Amino acid sequence: MISSRVPLLSLQQITKRFGAVEALVGVDLDVYAHQVVALVGDNGAGKSTLAKVISGVISPDSGLVEMDGVAQTISSPSAAHALGIATVFQDLALCGNLDVTSNIFLGRELTAGAFVDDGQMEQIARRLLRDLTSRIPSVRTSVSELSAGQRQAVAIARTLVGSPRLVVLDEPTAALSVAQTAEVLMYIERLRELGHGVILISHNMNDVRAVSDRIEVLRHGRNNGTFDAATASYESILAAITGATSPQDDRVRRVAAFH
Amino acid sequence: MSGSQSALREANRGLIIETVHRHGGLTQVELAGATGLSTATVSTIVKELLAAGVVDTRNTTRSGRRAQMVTIARRVGLAVGIHIGVRQLRVALGDATREVLAEQTLPLPHEHRMDTSLDRAALLVTELLERVGSSVDEVVGVGIALPAPVDAATGMISVRGMMSGWDEIHIGHVLSKRLGCPVFVDNDANLGALAESVRGAARFFRDSVFVRASYGTGAGIVLGSQVHVGFAGTAGEIGHVQVDPDGQMCRCGSRGCRDTVVGAAALTGALRETHGTLTLRDIVQGAIDGDPGCARVIAEAGSSIGVVVAGLVIALNPQVVVVGGELAETGEVLVAPLREAIRQRVLPNQIAPLEVVAAELGEGAEVIGALESVFRSTDFVARSADPLVMARDGEADD
Repeated sequence: MISSRVPLLSLQQITKRFGAVEALVGVDLDVYAHQVVALVGDNGAGKSTLAKVISGVISPDSGLVEMDGVAQTISSPSAAHALGIATVFQDLALCGNLDVTSNIFLGRELTAGAFVDDGQMEQIARRLLRDLTSRIPSVRTSVSELSAGQRQAVAIARTLVGSPRLVVLDEPTAALSVAQTAEVLMYIERLRELGHGVILISHNMNDVRAVSDRIEVLRHGRNNGTFDAATASYESILAAITGATSPQDDRVRRVAAFH
Repeated sequence: MSGSQSALREANRGLIIETVHRHGGLTQVELAGATGLSTATVSTIVKELLAAGVVDTRNTTRSGRRAQMVTIARRVGLAVGIHIGVRQLRVALGDATREVLAEQTLPLPHEHRMDTSLDRAALLVTELLERVGSSVDEVVGVGIALPAPVDAATGMISVRGMMSGWDEIHIGHVLSKRLGCPVFVDNDANLGALAESVRGAARFFRDSVFVRASYGTGAGIVLGSQVHVGFAGTAGEIGHVQVDPDGQMCRCGSRGCRDTVVGAAALTGALRETHGTLTLRDIVQGAIDGDPGCARVIAEAGSSIGVVVAGLVIALNPQVVVVGGELAETGEVLVAPLREAIRQRVLPNQIAPLEVVAAELGEGAEVIGALESVFRSTDFVARSADPLVMARDGEADD
């Protein structure tokens, strides 16, 4: 449970351009095991781009990616998966017509001989959902019948199938009711207790401050401040998001005084 | 053979009751999925439980089809218990049988704001009511537990600065306006004490002290089976006994209070050098998992709290000290040094030695106490909407 000194994932000087758009410019990010790191920022600040870099959907133009201190190239989502990185994107990518079990094992079905092992998958699905203390009544219901919060639970449970070490959640509480938000936040606490590293991308300062250990602010694709969630105030985080303050402020002032 | 058959049936029955409990309410088809039992078995057992008055069923629809919603049977009137803690909000619905029907916990940010937290509490209450197929009309009252001393007459926090931004706020008014029912506000240690004395570790004793070791430390005092809150609700605030005259300033305005020495900030601070940044929950989990550093700071907190509780024990002479709150989840890691510290300081008593035990209701104690306080404060039978149900209740009592 004690976070080791070598970060699980370390990103250094990640840069990504789309033509004239600077999506990410020299971004650093460290995530340790048993830690929830929140990534916050305005629309277009580069949060989702960074998530896509981590999950192998896009490759950075430059920068260093390390897992456990070893340099890695995450060239594809399956490479990310092999490294133990699991991502839940905003749209969840669930199949509404399939049941909970099929969704959890989609593309990774267990087999017994030549046949798909439904019983075994159902048992594991039930255990994963119980581990998350989820309230999904049945693993046999089709996903289209579940509430938004329950779908989020299925999407999170799916990431746990390959026993990942780092879970990336992109806006998991957007458009959820309070009770559903409460459940998702409890899942995040569970993931942390299970020893996973978690990257939580969210707009909601309340949710972010409730469950994360550290808050990283991105602004225009750049790091714009790091906060200890246990002590940081709303005001200081919002100031960093909106650009009222920046980490360079001190230096700017010093340089100005010098001239 | 028939013996194992009936044992199986009994186990299935238990499984169904437990599942309905966990979900609040769900249809028979969902029950089959959730338990892994066949729909026929579920249907048979639900019929039995319905006849025995354990569950209720009502018609509902699921994806356009008619379905039978199964809920735990409840007596007339629901109560709501809310515990607004330092880092989490817990809401529970209970009925007159003191059965908790539905429950939800929401993690809260550091120094969470009054307006947001009360708003979320109110929304959670309505959503939980929906979950068990009920509405605000059925609620007879709401009990709120706060980690601060509360003046019983006004329901307001009676010491400034205990919860930043919550001073001078009439919390009861804010929520009763939203939910349209009476709201009772009390200190969480007092409500924990009530719960433990009615249903927990102190239920066989008339005089008890409940120690709540959490982000801060508080105590609830039960004398002659009644909770003693004091004139302004500050009785038992052992977190604010001065232990170090040269210590740090406390949020209450005094210097060197117990909370500055064993509060969450002090415990996490003590481990920062060796363990990095931890939360209070991490320390508790670490102590349970046998981490020596975590266990050590909790044990030291235990003996330090015990010193102050000893004073309370000498003043009140209770039969039992019940230790609850997050730190008590470590069991004897906290309780053993706490017990030792008390025993060294109180008068040895030949008649019935003082017992120091861990709480039985765990982290649900405060909301259970809040539910209990609602039923004690309201005449809930008078609000029965259905005279037939009242009549049936009357017969059952005869």
